[in-house]
Amino acid sequence: MTTVNTPPAVDVDADSSASASASAEKAAASPWRRRGSSWLVKGNLLIVFVVIVVIASLLSPDFLTVRNLSNLLQQSSLTGIIAIGMTLVILTSGIDLSVGSTAALSGMIVAITLDGSVPIPLAILLALVVGLAVGLVMGAIAAWIRLPAFIVTLAGLTAIRGAAYLTTDGRPVGQNLPESFTLIGGGYMGFIPITGLIFIVVALLAAALLRFTTFGEYIYAVGSNEEAARLSGVPVKWVQMAVFGISGLTAALAGILLTSRLTIAQPTSFTGAELDGIAAVVLGGAALAGGRGGIGGTFIAVLLLSVLKNLFNLMGIGSFFQMVATGLILLLALILNKFIDSRARNIS
Amino acid sequence: MSTTLLQPDTSAGAGVLRLRMSGINKSFPGTHACRDTRLEVRPGEVHCLLGENGAGKSTLMKILSGSYQPDSGVIAIDGVDVSFANPLDGIAAGIAVIYQELDLFPDLTVAQNLYLGHSPSVGGIVRGRRRRADAREILKRVGATFSPDAIVGLLPIADQQLTAIARALTADARLIVMDEPTATLGDADVEKVHTVIRSLVAEGRSVVYISHRLDEVKEIGDRITVLRDGANVAEHRVADSTPDEWIADMIGEKKKELTAVTDRPAPTGEPLLEIERVTIKGVIDISDVSVRPGEIVGLAGLGGAGRTTFLSAVFGARRSSSSLRLAGKPLTIRSVRDATAAGFGLVPESRKTEGLMLGLSIGRNASISSIGAPPWLMPHRRGRALSTPVLAGLGVKYASVNQAVGQLSGGNQQKVVLAKWLTRGIRVLLLDEPTRGLDIGAKADLYRQVRALADNGAAVLVASSELSELVANADRIIVLHEGRKVGEFDPRLASEESITHAIISGKIS
Repeated sequence: MTTVNTPPAVDVDADSSASASASAEKAAASPWRRRGSSWLVKGNLLIVFVVIVVIASLLSPDFLTVRNLSNLLQQSSLTGIIAIGMTLVILTSGIDLSVGSTAALSGMIVAITLDGSVPIPLAILLALVVGLAVGLVMGAIAAWIRLPAFIVTLAGLTAIRGAAYLTTDGRPVGQNLPESFTLIGGGYMGFIPITGLIFIVVALLAAALLRFTTFGEYIYAVGSNEEAARLSGVPVKWVQMAVFGISGLTAALAGILLTSRLTIAQPTSFTGAELDGIAAVVLGGAALAGGRGGIGGTFIAVLLLSVLKNLFNLMGIGSFFQMVATGLILLLALILNKFIDSRARNIS
Repeated sequence: MSTTLLQPDTSAGAGVLRLRMSGINKSFPGTHACRDTRLEVRPGEVHCLLGENGAGKSTLMKILSGSYQPDSGVIAIDGVDVSFANPLDGIAAGIAVIYQELDLFPDLTVAQNLYLGHSPSVGGIVRGRRRRADAREILKRVGATFSPDAIVGLLPIADQQLTAIARALTADARLIVMDEPTATLGDADVEKVHTVIRSLVAEGRSVVYISHRLDEVKEIGDRITVLRDGANVAEHRVADSTPDEWIADMIGEKKKELTAVTDRPAPTGEPLLEIERVTIKGVIDISDVSVRPGEIVGLAGLGGAGRTTFLSAVFGARRSSSSLRLAGKPLTIRSVRDATAAGFGLVPESRKTEGLMLGLSIGRNASISSIGAPPWLMPHRRGRALSTPVLAGLGVKYASVNQAVGQLSGGNQQKVVLAKWLTRGIRVLLLDEPTRGLDIGAKADLYRQVRALADNGAAVLVASSELSELVANADRIIVLHEGRKVGEFDPRLASEESITHAIISGKIS
């Protein structure tokens, strides 16, 4: 081994630079192809989206109307907001099953407080804080007690839904919501629904968080390799707790907006919303194992799923068939992604 | 279960060996792990296999079990030539290997573990009562007092060890290989295992025993085969030889002259890092390790001597009770965050699972430890500005910092781990087997970078299982043995032989 004396050191040197340049060559060849293929993975979703939009506009002259498109954005936005929070959780290799229940609870809280004549900003703030707190508590349990997030948030799903029922003993609430509050969920700026704008703003904020802050960088690091992140001095547990807090916050926002749009709050709302959110995140290209994915993918996937539903409706397809078809399309898209992705890995 | 007793020497005829391996050769890229290696084990004996780290013991045993196929050579069991394509063939031929990391199923019961894969059953339905009764009988034979219904993972380590031995008996193994079965046991439990081994060989079974504890070999062994660099160097009868002879064989004709490569003077002055004592109960208890600024201190020891645990504990990655001083001031490290805040950096043993985030880019890996300062914005731009000159200084070869780090060669990957800490700026660098899997050029290159870092005033602690590497690069070598510090050597003054002696025996000659 390296009983390197002065003369052989020259040899060793030559050796190392030779091997190093060989590996550099290999390295130089691959990223180009890799970039190409990763573009394909991302582009893949965009292409599917465009194709479906084209098909929809051909099949139904109503599709490309301003009214339909603005409806579409309105329908996407609540699931979309939930999916944005979910993206951050999944990027750390976590999962949040409690978002639907949290949204329902916050929707109830905002309605109850508004019925009690609490000022609108305060009522909204309170509902948001509850969502944030619920998320932080679950995140803290998952991170410090080292329980799987799946189990913690499954317990949260049941318990928080129960809490939502308890607020009114199961009755809908919010018969006299102030009009300025209901305007948020039902109003338009020009022809753009306000909830759609909020969805876009939330998506942009989350994208900026991931790209332009240290916290965002830590999210990817934790999801990519938790142990390496820990040994690099990343505050792993705090990051894990924080993403669940954000997920609770976005869920609460969705809940508030639904109450506002429907001008009434129901404890049964958002049942199954966690699955829609997860579906959108995964379809958007994020790996459930963490470390890979982004807001852009989730954003397009949310729109894609809405367009699909819209298309089915315009074609007059029944909702039972819609469910089957949506499930199958989701599966097909993921198989295609996996196929392209594994090819990309083989190349590199 | 058939529990045929194998009569020593009679049935197969006296003089027929239980195991004869001869002319075994096995190469891996870069190393020749076995060179014409020979191993002969008689029925009813405990045969000990001795050698330093990397002497070829593990490879030989993996060939015996069927995990590896030899490039050439002959294996005969009870006089019959055999060839194993996989470990199942080895088990069928009556060979059981009990690895140091027990391959038991911790969540299953003892009985389930013993009969996994061959449970007594009728039409696919397990006969649980029968299995339990059989298991109880086998457990009695190994002197176990726990129930066959006990969950293996909840048993103490010694009882898990007995379970593994009992499992070898359920397959009626004639030859049982034990790889350091007592490394993690206390004295009373060691005696338990020895008793079982004695009863096994009394039944005519043979045991191949690998242990670094020579006093244990003395007590339990019948004969010894010593390997060095993959080749046979000696065979002894335990009764007719002494541990000192065995050590001499293991060490071999090491250079007795001074081994230090460098003639640079050792750094002097006040230590930067003083580790007064680090303890993890039952695992390590290491005192008085100090490193001066500009000094590279090597940590030598056998596998399991506690090098990795020690570095993890100092770095706050493993809970321990420790008292440290940094630049004369007491320092408390309870977590990795405490350690990094104090200017410590660790290059961990496994760069792929602990050192790097393989899916992320070079730039992101190199800057992950440096972006934690306010205002917590623009981590990419800031990280790239900080890490690019460091990566260039280390001579990392890459096409783009946006390339996934997993695409780099091992040597370049290791430099990225190093870059992570250099980008942050450190005072104390801990390296754990930093050159594992690197070619010679990359090794030399890595040490050159570490030396440059030391020359800038850092204190460096490096653990390695290759003594020659430490001798060539360290200013001082500390030897650990079974979780304790044995002593210190100056490679300018001590011979490699004397250091190796301390590594193996745990004593300073």
